Amino acid sequence: MFAGIRLITEPFEPPYMQRALIAMLLLALLAGVVGVVVQLRRLAFMTDAMTHTVFPGVAIAFFMGDSLFVGALIAAGTSAVVLTLLARHPRIDEDALVAFVLATFFSVGVIVVSRNRTFTADLNQLLFGRVLTISTRDVVEIAIVCVLCFASLYALRKELLLRSFDPVGAAALGYPTVIIDMALNLLIALVVVAAVRAVGTALVVALLTTPAATARIVSSRITTMMVLSCAIGAIGGWLGLVISYDASIHYDVRLAAGATTVVVLTVAFAAVAVAFALARRRHARQAVVS
Amino acid sequence: MNHLLDLYDSTIMQRALIEAALVGALCGAVGIHVLLRRLPFFTITVAHATFPGVVLAVILGASVLTGAVVFALLLVLGIWLTGVEERLATSTVVGVALAGSFGVGAMLQSTQNGFTKDLASILVGQIIAVQRGDLIATAIIGGLVLATMVSTHKELVLSAFDRTEAQAQGHSRTVDLLALLIVAAAVVTTVPAVGTILSVALLTIPAMTARLVTRRVETAMVTSAAIGALAGVVGLTISAQWRVAAGAAITLTAAGLFLLVLLFTTVTRRATSTEKAVVFPDAGRTPELAR
Repeated sequence: MFAGIRLITEPFEPPYMQRALIAMLLLALLAGVVGVVVQLRRLAFMTDAMTHTVFPGVAIAFFMGDSLFVGALIAAGTSAVVLTLLARHPRIDEDALVAFVLATFFSVGVIVVSRNRTFTADLNQLLFGRVLTISTRDVVEIAIVCVLCFASLYALRKELLLRSFDPVGAAALGYPTVIIDMALNLLIALVVVAAVRAVGTALVVALLTTPAATARIVSSRITTMMVLSCAIGAIGGWLGLVISYDASIHYDVRLAAGATTVVVLTVAFAAVAVAFALARRRHARQAVVS
Repeated sequence: MNHLLDLYDSTIMQRALIEAALVGALCGAVGIHVLLRRLPFFTITVAHATFPGVVLAVILGASVLTGAVVFALLLVLGIWLTGVEERLATSTVVGVALAGSFGVGAMLQSTQNGFTKDLASILVGQIIAVQRGDLIATAIIGGLVLATMVSTHKELVLSAFDRTEAQAQGHSRTVDLLALLIVAAAVVTTVPAVGTILSVALLTIPAMTARLVTRRVETAMVTSAAIGALAGVVGLTISAQWRVAAGAAITLTAAGLFLLVLLFTTVTRRATSTEKAVVFPDAGRTPELAR
């Protein structure tokens, strides 16, 4: 019993662990809610593309010495606009264009980073994050993004849902689908921006995809999915931090906290998916027997 | 100019240039199938999936290529057996696997001390570190892939254009698997040179460029291979001149070529479109690239 409580409190005695926990919980909340919308629109690949296109902005801001936040925001806005508009180019295949924009933007970022002497270390930090070095200011910035995102999601909830469930109807009713798509891409970009410090641009796609996908297996009600998705993300983030702390303190194994969180979330998805598939099969068999 | 010639003199640079040209040509040719079958997302997924394989191979001391091949094969078989290749972009499980594979790779690498350099080079490639053995491996895999593409060309193209007819002939599933394997082989060969994330660039951008110029599949393949090789050599030269990452320089060169050709064809098309308002399709010829 005591060991259990200690496992909850002990890792979070150092202030840097407290900041990391707050950041991870905020991110879980943010990515959980936005992830459900992404899941409804089945935009997993667009999300992956967005995470790579935000990268140059983050890289430039990193070297200008400015806040990562502002640079990433500018890159997020640009890439959301470019991706949404180019995806509608009539002469070129949409999938190919997404790949084109992804690779080109990411290359610009890599070039910016590669001009520097500490190339590989910087690249690692930007791609995979360093949740333990998060400052109070970073936490505040994440909180601001959370408020921004939730406010816009609330304001656009009707349009986003209509666009998800009935794209033709939405267009016929005269809703500006381009702007709705752009707004959602911008929201995804904002999550990427918020998550850069904690989990990096390469791992944030897991925060946006996996908890929402797990929630989708359990429920098909949007509100329930959002609550579940946030809860799964939060538990995953907390477990990731605890496991990584425990491994390094007690077993002398280094485990990156952000990556561990992603692995925990992926394992949880697999477990829930298998459990539900088995339950459904048993249910079907009983129905046949009776 | 002298400096540039010196650059081409060194053995390391010569090896890297040959590798860039080989990989560029291979990806260029295969890229046409990526476009025909709408496989850009599959390409991205395979590239992501190889990442934990490569990290594991480095930790275990095995060759990078082996790790990439094993994980790419696992993914191709998984996708083919479940038959999701046509709705890959909307498949939740594939999305989760794609997102999770970077996590697994990053967690594995974080257990190793002083491993960070290798990790970054996996993601963005390290063409300058190419050894003789790598060159031979690229040449062999590339040769095999091209030979397969030439010998099964008719079946590959038919099943991409006319699924019903291909199904009627009874081997469309096998041909699908073959197409996935060809693309995966190209990704696996390209990853050490330009990296996980940028391999998708060489497999789509030269093909997109060729598609702007011609609509015939065979011509597009040759053009795309030439563009890929050109982008590889020019990009690598730029990277050596200005000391920037090679994979990124190659990608941006390919992207620049695409934009130039897009601009050029848009301008000329606008000029000629007033003359030839009606274009009749030529029914008896080989299938042309869609749209």
